[in-house]
Amino acid sequence: MRRFDYLRPKSLKEALQQKKTIAGAKFISGGTDLLVQIKNRELQPPTLISLRSIPELATIEINGGARIGALATISDIIQHNELGLNYPVLVEAARRLGSVQIRNVATVGGNLCNCSPSADMALPLLVLEAKVRLRTAKARREIQISEFFKGPGESCLSSDEILTDIILDPPHQKAKATFLKKGRVKMDLAIASLAVLLEMEGGKCRKARIAAGSVAPVPLRLYKVEALLEGSTVTEKLAAEAQRLATKIISPITDIRATEEYRRQIVRVYVKRGLEKILG
Amino acid sequence: MNNFRYIGKETRRPDAPDKAAGKAHYIHDLRRPGMLYGKIKFSDHPHARIKHIDTSKAERLNGVRAVITSNNSPEVRLGFLRDNLALKKDKVRQYRDEIAAVAAIDPDIAEEAVELIKVEYEPLPGLFSPREAMKKGSPLIHETDAQGRPRTDNLLPLRFHHESGDLDAGKRAAKYVAEGEFSTPRVQQCCMGTAGCIAEFDMNNNLTIWAKTQIPFLAQRDFNRALSDMGLHDKNTRIIVPTIGGAFGTGLDTHAYEYIAILLAFQTGQPVKIVYTRDEEFAYLSPRQSSTTKIIQGCDQNGKLTFRQVEVTQDNGAYTSWGATYPSVMMIPATSLYRVSNVYFNAQLVYTNNTYCQAMRGYGNPEHTWALESNMDELAGEAGIDPYEFRMINCNRPKETTPMGLKVSTCGLKECLETVAKKLDWKKKSKKGKCRGKGMASLVHVGGGARIYRSDASGLILKLDDFGNVNAFHGGVEMGQGLHSVLTLGIAEALGVRPEKVFINPLDTSTCPWDVGTHASRGAFMACNTAILAANKLRDKIFELAEELFPQEVEKNLEKFRKKNPGYKPPDFDFVKAAKRERFDMQDGSIFIKDAPREPWLSLDLGRLLRTIHFRTQGQMLTTEVFYDPPNELPDFEKGFGNISATYAYGTQGVEVEVDTETGEVRIMRMVAAHDVGKVLNPPALKGQIYGALAQGVGYALYEELLSQKGKILNPNFRDYKIPTVQEMNFPVDLEFIETNDSFGPFGAKGVAEPGLVPTAPAIANAIYDAVGIRIRDLPITPEKILAALKKLKASKD
Amino acid sequence: MKTEISFILNGSEVKVTVDGHLRLIDVLRNTMGLTGTKEACGEGECGACTVIVDGKAVNSCLYPAHEIEGKSVITIEGLHVPKHKLSKIQQGFVDHGAIQCGFCTPGMIMSAKALLDSNPNPSDKEIREALQGNLCRCTGYVQIVEAVKRVARQMKGKQ
Ligand SMILES: Cc1cc2nc3c(=O)[nH]c(=O)nc-3n(C[C@H](O)[C@H](O)[C@H](O)COP(=O)(O)OP(=O)(O)OC[C@H]3O[C@@H](n4cnc5c(N)ncnc54)[C@H](O)[C@@H]3O)c2cc1C
Ligand code: FES
Ligand code: FES
Repeated sequence: MRRFDYLRPKSLKEALQQKKTIAGAKFISGGTDLLVQIKNRELQPPTLISLRSIPELATIEINGGARIGALATISDIIQHNELGLNYPVLVEAARRLGSVQIRNVATVGGNLCNCSPSADMALPLLVLEAKVRLRTAKARREIQISEFFKGPGESCLSSDEILTDIILDPPHQKAKATFLKKGRVKMDLAIASLAVLLEMEGGKCRKARIAAGSVAPVPLRLYKVEALLEGSTVTEKLAAEAQRLATKIISPITDIRATEEYRRQIVRVYVKRGLEKILG
Repeated sequence: MNNFRYIGKETRRPDAPDKAAGKAHYIHDLRRPGMLYGKIKFSDHPHARIKHIDTSKAERLNGVRAVITSNNSPEVRLGFLRDNLALKKDKVRQYRDEIAAVAAIDPDIAEEAVELIKVEYEPLPGLFSPREAMKKGSPLIHETDAQGRPRTDNLLPLRFHHESGDLDAGKRAAKYVAEGEFSTPRVQQCCMGTAGCIAEFDMNNNLTIWAKTQIPFLAQRDFNRALSDMGLHDKNTRIIVPTIGGAFGTGLDTHAYEYIAILLAFQTGQPVKIVYTRDEEFAYLSPRQSSTTKIIQGCDQNGKLTFRQVEVTQDNGAYTSWGATYPSVMMIPATSLYRVSNVYFNAQLVYTNNTYCQAMRGYGNPEHTWALESNMDELAGEAGIDPYEFRMINCNRPKETTPMGLKVSTCGLKECLETVAKKLDWKKKSKKGKCRGKGMASLVHVGGGARIYRSDASGLILKLDDFGNVNAFHGGVEMGQGLHSVLTLGIAEALGVRPEKVFINPLDTSTCPWDVGTHASRGAFMACNTAILAANKLRDKIFELAEELFPQEVEKNLEKFRKKNPGYKPPDFDFVKAAKRERFDMQDGSIFIKDAPREPWLSLDLGRLLRTIHFRTQGQMLTTEVFYDPPNELPDFEKGFGNISATYAYGTQGVEVEVDTETGEVRIMRMVAAHDVGKVLNPPALKGQIYGALAQGVGYALYEELLSQKGKILNPNFRDYKIPTVQEMNFPVDLEFIETNDSFGPFGAKGVAEPGLVPTAPAIANAIYDAVGIRIRDLPITPEKILAALKKLKASKD
Repeated sequence: MKTEISFILNGSEVKVTVDGHLRLIDVLRNTMGLTGTKEACGEGECGACTVIVDGKAVNSCLYPAHEIEGKSVITIEGLHVPKHKLSKIQQGFVDHGAIQCGFCTPGMIMSAKALLDSNPNPSDKEIREALQGNLCRCTGYVQIVEAVKRVARQMKGKQ
C-alpha cells in the first residue's frame, strides 16, 4: 500500500527528533522525487517528515557569498535577483529543471539529496565549489559538495541527517560559467549535461571547473580536464584534448534514455561548446 | 452553391465552454450509487502456463466484494478473431494478460487485493519478433483457433493481397529502381483521458455500461454476445458514452477490462468502475502495431512509375483486434498513391508474445506512407529527378480509377504538391552550410467513409420541439475531434436554423440510431450527410405545413405590425397565392417566401409553426429519422479490390529541418501542410485537427516508441515515453486547404481527421536526407540513429 | 492517521479531514467533488492536474494534502466567477479553438492563468516555457499558444 503518515514539524529540532524516533521515516521537501518513487513502489516509507514548515530552511541570503536554504525552491532561485546576478549559471541550470509546476515546489536540497546522476542543480554547484551544511540532532558539519554524492540515490548523509544550507563563496569577478543539457525533448531529465566555469587572465585559463551529469554514478567533477586547461591558453588543440580526456574519465551507461556512446558524444560536444560559449 | 450561412465560418464548438469550465464529465468523473472499484491482476510472464491461482488472501481483505478468475466465472471471448478471453484460462501469452480481477469499495483496497493474488506459472519460451515467430518449429502461441481447430504456425489467418498488371513487365520497363526496407515502432495513442468504464446491471439482468468507445453499436453487439456467454440470453446492453478525453483508435475494439467490469458487476450486483492509470494505459492497452515494409519501385527514363512491389509484415502481438486489418488501409496508398500500374502488395500478420496491438489514427496509412514516400525520394534520386517534379509526373488526377478499383471523384493532389512547393520555396535550396534541408511527402486516405464492415452507415434522428429547438440523436462519437460542432453546423445550415437552436444529445445506444463507428475519418462526412438528408425531409414537411399555415399567421403578423406602424403600406405582394411549398425557404428558424420582398412581418417563425400544429386538434409533432449508407463497396481484401470509400482525401506536407551533425538533433524550422479537404466546414476545428495530427506525426517521426524487452514494456509513463510538448511544436506551420468540392461530400467536404499525421514522418526523413545525405529507414528518427548514419556515410566517403 | 486541515478553496474557507498519504488532487476531486481538475499521469509529467496554490501553478497530483493547511487554492471551478460566465482566459480558449477533447484544458488554463497573473505581457518564449509542463495530445498546441497571446493582448487593452 502507498499509505503513509505525514508529519509537519515546525522546527529543525523537532524534525530531527522525529526522524530519530520513527523507524523508516523519510524526509520530504518538495516531494517531486519522493512521491513519484512512492507511487512507483520503489519506496514504501510508513511516515514522511515534511521540512516545508521550517522557516529558516527556505531562506536565501546574500552576504558577499550566498547561503541558500535547502528548502529554497527552484523557482525561488530563478526569481532571486542578486543570486542570478552573482551566479548566473545557477539560474541557467534552474531554468532547465522540469516545468514551472515542478520548479514551484521542487527544492534545491531535494535535488541534491535525491542524488540522481542527472540532478541539474548539482552541476552548477559543483563548478561553483559550493559547500553543504548537514545537521543531525547532535552535530553539524560542512563539506564540499563534491564529497556529498556517493552513488545513484546515495549521499553521505546519515539516516538522521538533514541538508540545511548550501554555501557559496563570493563570485570571482573574472569567472564565467555555463550549463548545457541534452534531453530527448526539451523538458526531460538530462541524458547528459555539463557545467563549465572558467576564470581567464591574460588569455590564459587561471581556473577551470567542469562537471558532467548523467554520465557516471554521481554528478561528476572532471578534475583531469580542469587540470589540463588550467595555466594554459585554450587553443583549438587543447580544447580537442580536453574533449578526448573528458570522454575517457566519464563512465556512462546505456539505458532506455540513451546509449553509452551517445552520452559520450554529447559530453565530447558539450566540452567544446561550453568552452566556446565562455570564451566567445 | 458556396453561399453558406454557417459552413466555412469561424464558429465556436458547442462543447468547449463546459470543457473550459471543468464541467465536462469524463468516465473518471462519474460515480454511481453503490459503485465498486475494479482492478485487474495482469500476468507476470510473457508466455507461460497458469498452474495455480491463489486468491484466498485477496478474498479475505476487508472491503473486497468479489475476486474473479477463469475458475469461478464464465468464459467470455473477445477480439476480431475471438482469440482472446476476458480472463485467461490455461495460458498467458503476453505480459498484459488478465488473470484475475477484484471489486472493492475503494480503489486502494482493490489495488491491495490484487497484490495479494498469487499465481504459479510454468514459463514457456517467448517469441518477441515476427522473424522468431515465423521460424519453422517455433512454439505455437495459439495451439488452436477460437473454434478449437489446431493451428500449425503463428501466422494470422487473415490475407491481404493485391496484384494488378504485370509486375515482371513493369520491372523490365523500369530504367531506375529503388528498394528499401522500412520499419515503424509500436506507439501509444496517449489519450490524455485514460480508458475506463462503469458497468451496471438492473434487476432484469440488462446491462448499462458507460464506456469510452468509438464503436458503441458494435460494442453493443459484442457485449450482448458476452451476456449470452454468461448465460444471460436475450439480454440487452445499453451503452452510454460520456465525454471522451481523446480516443485516436483506442475505442475501436471492446477490451478485456470492459468484460471484466461486466463480470464483476454481475457477480456483485453493484456498479463496477474500472479506470486505467497512466501506467496501465501504456502497458495494458493496445498500441499501434509495429511493421516492416519491403518496397521496390521502378520508373522509366521520364520518371513515370512502372511498378511497385510491397511486402508488409506486422507484429500483431498475442491476440487479434480490429487493428489487424491495417493492411486494408495500407493497400490504399500501396495501389493508389501516385499513378502506378503493375502493383504487388502482400501483408502478413504474425502472432508474437508482445502486447497485442490495435488501431491508431491513420490505421496503417502512416506505416505504409513512411515506406512509400521515403522510397519515392530514393527513386527520384536514382532517376536524377527533383523529388517534387517526380511526384508531379506521377500525380493522381480527378476521375481516375486506380489499380485497387478506387474511384477517384475529386483529387487535389496536384494543387497540394504545388502549394507546398511554393510555400516552402522548394526551388530555393536550403543553406547547406547550416545542414538544412527540405522534404515533402503526400498521402491518400479514405475521405468518404470506409467500408470495412457489412454496413458503413450512420443514422440521425431530429426531433423538433415547441420552441423551435432541434434535438439531434446521432450515433457518431464526439471524442474531442469536433464532431458535434460540425453536426451542429451541418444541421443549422441544411435545415435553416441557428446553431444555438441545435442540441446534440449524449450518445446512448438506446436513443441514438445505429452507426458503424467513429473511425476512418468518417465522422464529419457521415454526420453532415445525414444532416442534409434529415434536413431535406424536415424541410419538405415544414414547407408542406407552411403552405397551410403561412397565410393566416402572416396575416396576424401584418396586423400587429400595422398597429405599431400606423400608415404603413405593405408592398404589393400576394403572399396568400405565393405560399406554395416549392417557393418557401427557411433561414435561422424563419420561414419565408424566396422571392417575396423582405418585410419584417412577412415570415413565419418555426417555433410558432410547430406550436400551432402541436396544439391544434389532431395535433402533430415533427420528428424525422434518416439512415445514410455511403456509395462505397466492401473490398475483397484477399484480391485487394474494391472502392472502399465514396471519396478520397489527399494532401502534401513539406518541412524544412536543420540537423545538428554533432548531437544528431533534428530541428524543424517550418512546416507546410496542404490538404484536399473537399470543403472547409469549420475553420478552427479543421485547423485543430491538422495541427494536432501534425504533432502526433512529429512524435511518430522523432520521439515516440513503446520500448519493450522480451515483451515487457519498459517505458510505461510520460517520463520515458516522450510526446511533443509545446516546446517541440515551436515552429511556424502554414496550413493550406484545397477545396475540391466533392459531389459525394456533404457541402463538398471530405474526411480529414487522420490525414494530418500520415505523411509527416517521411516528409521529415526526406528533409533530413536533403540536409545531410542520410536515409533513416526505421522510426523514430533518434539522434543516435542520425549520428550512426552520419558516421557510416563518412566512412563510405573516406 | 487523520488530520484536520483548513484552507481557502476558490475564495472560501474549508475544513477537511485527511489521511497522510492523500494528495491535493484527491481532496479536490473526491472530498470536495471538484472534478474539473484532471489526473492524467499522477507523477508531475502532464500538468492536467495543475491548480494554483498561493499564486503559483503546481501539480496537485504531487502535492501532499497536508501541505495545503493555511494556503489558498484556486481550481478551474474558481475561475468563472460569477458562476455562469467564463473568465477571460477560459473564454479565450473557447474562442480560439484551443479545446478539443478538453482533458488537458483545465490544467492548461490554470498554467496560463498563473503566467498571465504574474506576467501580463508574455513573449512567445515565456508562454511556451509556462506551458511546457502541460501535455496535450489533441491540439498540437498552436491554437492554445494563440489563445494565450490574444487573451494577454485583450487584457492589456482593457487596462
Ligand atoms: C515531471 C518531473 C520533471 C523533473 N525534471 C527534472 C529535471 O529536469 N532535472 C532534475 O534535476 N530533476 C528533475 N526532476 C526531479 C525533481 O523534481 C528534482 O530532483 C527536485 O529538485 C527534487 O526536490 P524535492 O524538493 O521535490 O525533493 P523530494 O522529493 O522532497 O526529496 C528527494 C529526496 O531527498 C530527500 N531530502 C529532501 N530534502 C532533504 C533535506 N533537506 N535533507 C535531507 N534529505 C532530504 C528526501 O528524503 C528524498 O529522498 C523532475 C521531477 C518530475 C516529477
Ligand atoms: S496528473 Fe499531475 S502532472 Fe499529470
Ligand atoms: S484537448 Fe485533448 S488533450 Fe488537449
